[in-house]
Amino acid sequence: MGQPRVFLVDDHELIRAGIRSELAGSVEIVGEADEVAAAAEMILERTPDVVLLDVHMPDGGGVAVLRALNGRCPEVRVLALSVSDAAEDVIAVIRAGARGYVTKNISGPDLLDAIYRVAAGDAVFSPRLAGFVLDAFSLEGTHLEAADVDPDLDLLTPRERQVLRLIARGYSYRDVATELAISPKTVESHVSSVLRKLQLSNRHQLSNWASERHLF
Amino acid sequence: MSAYRHRPERSDVNTTTPPRPVIGTPHRPYRRGVENAILGGVCGGLAIRLGVRERTVRVLFSLTALVAGLGLLLYVVLWLCLPRADESEAIAQRLLGPRRQLRRVLVGLVAIIVLGLLLQALGAPSLGAFTLPIWLSLVGAVGVWRGASPDERRHLEELAKSTPLAGVPGKRSKRSFYLRVILGAILVFAGLRILRHFGGAWYVASPALVGTLILLAGVAVGLAPWWLTTLSDLSGERRERVRVEERANVAAHLHDSVLQTLTLIERAAGDAEAVTRLARNQERELRAWLFDPAHASSPEQARTYVAQLREMEAQVENDWGVKVELVTVGDLELNDNIAALVAAGREAAINAAQWSGAPTVSIYAEVEPVAVSLFVRDQGRGFDVDAVPADRRGIELSIRQRVEQHGGRVTIKSSPGKGTEVELFLPRTP
Repeated sequence: MGQPRVFLVDDHELIRAGIRSELAGSVEIVGEADEVAAAAEMILERTPDVVLLDVHMPDGGGVAVLRALNGRCPEVRVLALSVSDAAEDVIAVIRAGARGYVTKNISGPDLLDAIYRVAAGDAVFSPRLAGFVLDAFSLEGTHLEAADVDPDLDLLTPRERQVLRLIARGYSYRDVATELAISPKTVESHVSSVLRKLQLSNRHQLSNWASERHLF
Repeated sequence: MSAYRHRPERSDVNTTTPPRPVIGTPHRPYRRGVENAILGGVCGGLAIRLGVRERTVRVLFSLTALVAGLGLLLYVVLWLCLPRADESEAIAQRLLGPRRQLRRVLVGLVAIIVLGLLLQALGAPSLGAFTLPIWLSLVGAVGVWRGASPDERRHLEELAKSTPLAGVPGKRSKRSFYLRVILGAILVFAGLRILRHFGGAWYVASPALVGTLILLAGVAVGLAPWWLTTLSDLSGERRERVRVEERANVAAHLHDSVLQTLTLIERAAGDAEAVTRLARNQERELRAWLFDPAHASSPEQARTYVAQLREMEAQVENDWGVKVELVTVGDLELNDNIAALVAAGREAAINAAQWSGAPTVSIYAEVEPVAVSLFVRDQGRGFDVDAVPADRRGIELSIRQRVEQHGGRVTIKSSPGKGTEVELFLPRTP
C-alpha cells in the first residue's frame, strides 16, 4: 500500500500545523477543514483514506461531521483526535462511526501507526478506550434485562476481555499477540469485533454516554 | 478649613467627611453618617463630627431619650434637618422645597375622596373611623415622597409600579388589567353588599362568611398577578444569582490554576523539563476539574482506590518527570489492604520512573468481584529478574512484602531491553 491519503479536520490552525509537520513525508495530506459543514462536503468530494477528526468543534464537533457523512462513503475511515478523553466524548464519536480514538498528546510515530492501522480497516484502541469498554461491558451493574441481552452485541467474549485488558495495560497489538500466543491478525479481529459491539450494543451505559454528548 | 464650609452642589459629591469617626480628631461639618448608620445616621454623624466612638454617642442619646423622650425628639429633629454626608439637602429642605409633586398629591386626594364616598354609598359602618387613618397615611405618603432623595424616589417609583391597581400596566397586559379591575370591583362590591345586608346579625353568620369569601376572592383576583410577578421576579433573581456564582467559580478556578501556571511557564520558559512538568500538572488538574467534578471538588472525601491512584499518578509525574498513563476499571472504598496495594504500586511506579529510562509508565487498575489488581508497566531497559543487583533487590522485596502481608501476590516480569511489568494482585475479602 502506498501512502494513505489523509484529511485533517480541526478548528485550531496550530493543531493542524503541528499534525501536518509531524506527518510530513509519511502520508499524503489531501485537504483540511476547520468547520463541520465544509469538512463533510470536502470529505465526500475527495474521499480520503483516513480522516483525522477533532472531537470538539463549534456546531456539533466531530460527531456532527460523522452524521453529515451518514455512511455515504464507507471506504473513508475516521480516526477521532481530541484533547479530552472523557468517556462520553470517546463513546459518542465511536458510536457515530469513528474507527478509533487517540488523544492529541499522542507521539508522532504512534499517530502514524494509528493512521496506517485505521487505513487498513482495523480499529485503534488507546489504553484508556480499552478501559472504558471494559467498564461499560462490565459484568457487574448490567442494566439490561436478561431477555434483552443480545450475546453477539452486549457481551464480550473472554478472549476479547483478555485482549482489551492487555491493551489497557499499555501493550501494543504485537505485544498482545505474543502474550496470548496468537497472531497479530487475530488480535486485530478481536479489536474490530469489540468496536462493532461498541457501536451497536444497546447497553445502558453506552447509550447514556452517547446521549449525554448531545447536550454539548 | 474653607473646603469644609463649601457645600457641594451635586448630591453625590462630598467625600471630605470620613466614613468612620477618627478618634480624637473632630471633623466638620456635622452630617448624618452613611456607612456607620444604624437608623438615620444621626449618632454616627455626630461621632464623626466630635471624633469619638459611635457607641458613646448612642449610649448618651439613649439616656437622654429616657428624660421624657427628649433625646428621641432631638434625634428626629436632627434627622430631619441634617443632610446625609453624601447628599446636599436635608429631608426637611426637601419637604419644604418646590412643589413639583402637587399634581400627584391632588390626584391622590381625589382618589381618597372618591373611595370615601363609595364606602359611604355602600353604607360601610362609621366612615369617620376610616377617614382619619386614611388621611394620616396620605399625609405620611406625601411626606415620604417629598422627603425622599432622588435615589430613594426611584426606588419608591419602582415599588409603586409593582403595586396592584395603582401600578402602571404593561402594554401587552392592559386588557387583562382592566378585566382584573372590573372583576375584582364586582366581587368586592357583591361581598360588601352581602356583608352589609347581614352584618352584625350573628345568627346568619354563614351568608356573611360567603360574603367575606367573595370579598377575599375579589381582593385575590386583584392582587394575584402582582404577587405572581413578585414570585417570578424572585426566582428569576435567584437563577441569575446562581449563574453569576457559577461564572465567578469558573473564573476563580481559571485564575487560580490556569493563569498561575501560564505565568510560571512564561517564567520557566528556558527550562524545558520544568515547563513540561507544569503543563502536565495543569492538564491533569484541569481535566479532573472539567470531567470529574466530584473528585475535583471534594478531594478529601475521595478515599477510594481510584482516587488514591490518581494522587499517586500526580505525585510520580511531578517528582520523577515521567508521563503516567493511568487506566482504571471499576472502583471501591479504601481499606488497609487496598492502601497497601497502592503503596506497593507507588514503589513499583517510582522504580520504573527512576530506572527504566522509559518516558511513560502505564498503570492499569481493575476491580473485579473477587479481586483487585494493579499493573505497573514500562517499556524501558528492563533487567534480568534472576540477577537483580542488591540495591534494587530491596525495592522489589518491599513491594512484595507489602502485598503478601495482606494476602496478595506479586509477579514481576522483565527481561533486558523488553521493559518491566509488575503485577499486583489482591483477593477481595467481603
